[in-house]
Amino acid sequence: MSRIGVFICHCGENIAGTVDVAAVTQAALDMTGVVHAVDYKYMCSDPGQTMLKDAIVEKKLDGVVVAACSPRMHEPTFRRTAEEGGINPYQCEMANIREHCSWVHEKGTPTTAKAIDLVRFQVEKVKRNHPLVPIRVPVTKKALVLGGGIAGIQAALDIANTGSPVLLVEKSPSIGGHMSQLSETFPTLDCSQCILTPRMVEVARHPNITLYTYSELEKLDGFIGNFKATIRRKARKIDEKLCNGCGVCQQKCPVKKIPDEFNEGLSNRPAIFVPFPQAVPNKPVIDLANCTYFKNGKCKACEKLCPTKAIRLDQEDQIEVHDIGAVVLATGFKTMPVSNFSEYGYGKYKDVIDGMKFERLASASGPTGGAMKRPSDGKTPQHVVFIACAGSRDRLKGVPYCSKICCMYTAKHAMLYQHKVHGGQATVFYMDVRAAGKNYDEFVRRAVEEDGVKYVRGRVSRVYEDDGQLVVKGVDTLLGAEPVEIRADMVVLATAVQAQNDAEELAQRLHVSYDPYKFFAEAHPKLRPVETNTAGIFLAGTCQAPRDIPETVAQASGAAVKVAGLFSQPELTREPIIAVVDRQPPPVFSHCVGCFLCKSACPYQAIEEESIKNRNGDVLKVVAKVNPGLCQGCGTCVSTCRTKAIDLQGFSNEQVFAELMCI
Amino acid sequence: MEALQAKARELLAAGTVKVVIGYGKGTGDTRRPIFVRAVERAGDLVVDAACTQNLATYLTKAEVRALGRMAIVALPSTLRSILQLAAEKQLREENVLALAVIDGGLRELATFDAIEEALATVPDALSDADQKLIDKLTAMSVTERRAFWAEELGRCVKCYACRSSCPMCYCERCTMDCNRPQWIPVASHAIGNLEYHMVRAMHLAGRCVECGTCGKACPVGIPVHLLTFFAEQSVRRQFGQKGGASAKLDYAMSTFKPDDKETFIR
Amino acid sequence: MVDPFEPKMTAFVCNWCTYAGADLTGTSRIKYQSNVRVIRLPCTGRIDFMMVLKAFSRGSDGVIISGCHPNDCHYTSGNYHARRRWMVFRDLLDFVGIDLRRVTFSWVSAAEGAKWAELVNEATNNVRALGPYKEIQQLAAVGID
Repeated sequence: MSRIGVFICHCGENIAGTVDVAAVTQAALDMTGVVHAVDYKYMCSDPGQTMLKDAIVEKKLDGVVVAACSPRMHEPTFRRTAEEGGINPYQCEMANIREHCSWVHEKGTPTTAKAIDLVRFQVEKVKRNHPLVPIRVPVTKKALVLGGGIAGIQAALDIANTGSPVLLVEKSPSIGGHMSQLSETFPTLDCSQCILTPRMVEVARHPNITLYTYSELEKLDGFIGNFKATIRRKARKIDEKLCNGCGVCQQKCPVKKIPDEFNEGLSNRPAIFVPFPQAVPNKPVIDLANCTYFKNGKCKACEKLCPTKAIRLDQEDQIEVHDIGAVVLATGFKTMPVSNFSEYGYGKYKDVIDGMKFERLASASGPTGGAMKRPSDGKTPQHVVFIACAGSRDRLKGVPYCSKICCMYTAKHAMLYQHKVHGGQATVFYMDVRAAGKNYDEFVRRAVEEDGVKYVRGRVSRVYEDDGQLVVKGVDTLLGAEPVEIRADMVVLATAVQAQNDAEELAQRLHVSYDPYKFFAEAHPKLRPVETNTAGIFLAGTCQAPRDIPETVAQASGAAVKVAGLFSQPELTREPIIAVVDRQPPPVFSHCVGCFLCKSACPYQAIEEESIKNRNGDVLKVVAKVNPGLCQGCGTCVSTCRTKAIDLQGFSNEQVFAELMCI
Repeated sequence: MEALQAKARELLAAGTVKVVIGYGKGTGDTRRPIFVRAVERAGDLVVDAACTQNLATYLTKAEVRALGRMAIVALPSTLRSILQLAAEKQLREENVLALAVIDGGLRELATFDAIEEALATVPDALSDADQKLIDKLTAMSVTERRAFWAEELGRCVKCYACRSSCPMCYCERCTMDCNRPQWIPVASHAIGNLEYHMVRAMHLAGRCVECGTCGKACPVGIPVHLLTFFAEQSVRRQFGQKGGASAKLDYAMSTFKPDDKETFIR
Repeated sequence: MVDPFEPKMTAFVCNWCTYAGADLTGTSRIKYQSNVRVIRLPCTGRIDFMMVLKAFSRGSDGVIISGCHPNDCHYTSGNYHARRRWMVFRDLLDFVGIDLRRVTFSWVSAAEGAKWAELVNEATNNVRALGPYKEIQQLAAVGID
C-alpha cells in the first residue's frame, strides 16, 4: 500500500489568501494512500524542506506531493529535497495550486474544490511513479569540426585549447574559407588574410588538432558521445612529407588555362596547384579532371621535375573511421550566382560581377594586384554602380530573407573603390541600410561623408551593355520615384547569401534539421542557437544563417564551449524521462510486434531495432528499442503505438489514466 | 479456377510453397478460408464472385507461418494488405507468393515490386452499396448520425470478429486486451462499444486497404467497415497517403508536413 | 433548489508551451473560470485519442487540447503529429455523431498568458451553453465506470 505525503504550501498569502489550505489538507488525508498531510507557510524555505525530509523518514513515505507553485518553478528543488530525504527524486510530484489556481480564480468553494482536485490528480499519479535513475552515456572526448573556414578554425582552436583532441576536416585543399578571399574586413578595414593566416598557422601547428584538408565526411554513425565518423581523405597525388612547397611543379605544368576558383575565375591556374600562396597546408593538389596525365595518360612533367620526388600519381583515396564524441558543423555559405539575374544580364556581361569577384579585384594578392581593373578590358572603371539586395528580400524571384552582410560589404567595396580610383564615382542603389553592429553605422556614414559614395534609395530594374559601358536603369524613391539612369563602367551585385549546394544532402546524412533555404536549424531560435536537435551536433557560422565575421567567431566559440561542456564530465548524465519498450518473460518477450511505426515518428531517430535471440542465436523476434542516449521524452512514439508496448517514464499510460480517473 | 488448382498442385508438388491459403466451399453458398498442404487437396480451391474475404489476415498467424513459404489466393485488396504488412515489417518477400486474381485472370506475383506494378492498373473504389451508405451518413445531421450508430453499435456483442478478420489487426496484445490500464471497457458496454470501434478505426487510419472484411465478418450485421473506410478516406483526402500503397512505409500518422492545413485549431 | 450547471472541463496541455503559458496567466493574475483541470504532458504528441475518450466517459463535459505553435515544438515535431491525429480523429468524432463543439483545440505559446485565459473562458462558456454531456454520460453510466 502506498504511503504518500502531501505538503500544502501557503506561499505566504499567495495561495492561502484564496484557497482554504486547511480544507485541502483535510481532503488530502482522506485520499486513499495518503498517510501524512500538512500545510506550511513556505515549503521551499529551509525549514519547509527540512520538514519534508523529516516526514519522509518518520512516516516512511514512498511518494511525495507538494501542492504549491508550478513544477516549472520548483520541481527540481523538491526532487532534490526528496532525494536528500531518502526516496528516489522521481517519486516527488507537484500540484500547481498557485499559477493554475489561487492566482487565477476568485476566493471561494469552487477554487478550493479545484485545488483539492489538482492534489488528487497528483496523488494518483505519484502512486504509479517508478523510481528512475539518471541515464549515463559514455563520451569519447574527441571532436570533429566539419569545415575549415573562420568558424571551423575558431571552434577547433577553442576546443583544442581546453585539452581535447580535434579532427578538422575541410573539403578544399586549404583551410581559410571565404574569409581568405576577402581583401579587407569591415568595419576596421583590416587586411583579411593578415588576421586570418596566423589562426590558420596556429591550427596547423596545434598539438591537439589533426588537420585533414582535401577530405570529406562520408558517413556519421552513432549518437552523442559515441559517433563513428567515416572520412575520405582524397588523394592529392603528392607525398606530403616529401613536398617542400618549392612550386616548381606549378611553374612547369603545361596545362595553364583553368579558371582559378580562388580568384573567382578572374585568372587561371595550372592543373597542379596550391589554391593561394598562404594556403595551409602549403602542399599542391592535382586537379584530376584537367590534368593531361589523368585525362589521356601523357605528360608527367611534375613527376619528372619535382626535386624531392614527391609526386605520387598512383596515390589512392584513403578511408578512415574515427571515434568522435561531438561534431561542430561549420560548412559555410555560397553566394547566389550572377547568372540568376535576368535583369542584370544572366551573367553574360563580364563587367557585372558579384561581391566576391570585387574582393579579388581589390585584394593586393589578387589577379590585378589590388588595382581596379574591370574584367572585360582591364580599363580602370570611372563609375561603378553597386546594387544591394540582389536576390535577397525578394519573395518572387530570390530569397525572402535579408543576407545581413551586404549593406556593410557594399559600403566597404564602395570605399575601397573610392580610395583606389580618386576621380571615380561609386553609386550604391539600396533599399535600406542595415548597419547594426558595433561601429557599423559610423562606417557607412564614413563612406558617404568622407569618401563621397552616392547612396540612391531605389531598385535597379535593368542593366544592359551599350558601347562598352553598362546602362543602369534605377529609380530614386526619396525624390518621388524619379527614374535614374547611369552609364557605369562596372556593376557590382551584392548577391544573396545562400546555403552551400550540398547542405541539404549533408544535413540528411547527419540527421540534422534544416530550414526551407537549407540553412541548418538551431534547436531553439532564441535560447539554443549553437545546438541542433540532433544531440551532439553543434553549429557555427554561416551554415546556420547569414552572419558576419565577429558573430561567426562568437558563435564558433559558443559551439566550442558546448563541446567542452560535454567533454568535461566522464559521462553524459541525462534525465530519465524517456520512452521504454516493454519486455516480458518468454514466450512473449515483448508486446512490441516490430511494426516500427514509432521509428518513423521519432524526431530524434532514437528508436532502433533489437533482435531477441534464443541461445542458438536464432532470431525469435525483432522489436523496437529506445536509445536512452538519444530519446528526449516527447512521447510521440507512445501515442503512435497501437499496442502500447512502448511507454514514457514519468508520464506513463498508467499515470495519465490514474489522473483521468480522478475526474 | 482450373488454372488456380493446377498452379496450386504445381507449387505444392515442387515444394516451392508449403501451403496454399485460398477459398473453399463453405456451408450453402458461402466460401471459407482453406489451407491446402497436400497436392491431392488442390481441387478444394475455388475462386468466384462469392470469394470476398481478405485472406491476408492468415499471413501473420504463427501457425500458418510455421508451415513454411506461403502462397495466397489474392484479391486486389489482399495484395494491398501484403504490401502494407511488408511495410510494417510483418512479411518478408521470400516467405509469400501471391496468386493474384485480377480482371478474371490468374497472375503469379513473387516480389513486392511485381505486386505494386500489378496494382497500378486496379482502381481503388468502394462498392456502390458502401459508397451510398457513406454518402447517406455524411448527409445526415450530427444527431441523426449519433442515433444511427447508437442503434447499430447497440447490437455489438464484443465478439471481436471484426478484429480477427482484419489483416492489419495483427497485434499480439491488442490495446483492448491490456488491463493496466484498461482504457476501453471490454464488456458489451454502451460506451465501450462506441469507443472500441472508434479506436480501431483510428488505428486503421492510413493502414486500411478497404477490403470490407470486417463488416462482412460481423455476426450481427453492423457496418463496422464504414468506420475504418471513413477514417482511411479522411487520411487520403487530407494527406494524400494511403494504406497498402507500397512495401516501403509511408504511414500518414507517423509522418507530417509542416504545412498540413486544418481549420479548427485556434 | 438546483445548482446551476457548471461544466467539468479537462485540459491536455504540453509542458513547454501551454503549461508555461498558463503559468504566465497566473503570474499576470489574469482571472478565468475555475472549471478546468489541467493534465500536464511533455508534448501534445503524447496525447492519445483514448485519453480524450476517457475524459468524456469519466464525466467531462468539455475537453481542451493545447500545445506549441507549429514550428515551435520543443521536441521539433510532436505537435505536427498531434495535429495530424486530430485532423482525422475530429472527422471520425463527427462521423459517429459526437458534438465537435465540446472539444477545443489550440496553440498557446509560453508567452500567451492572456490567450490561455481567453481560451478557457470561451471553451467553458460554450460548453455551459451546450449543457451537460448527457449522451456520453448516460452511455457511460451503464454498468461499469
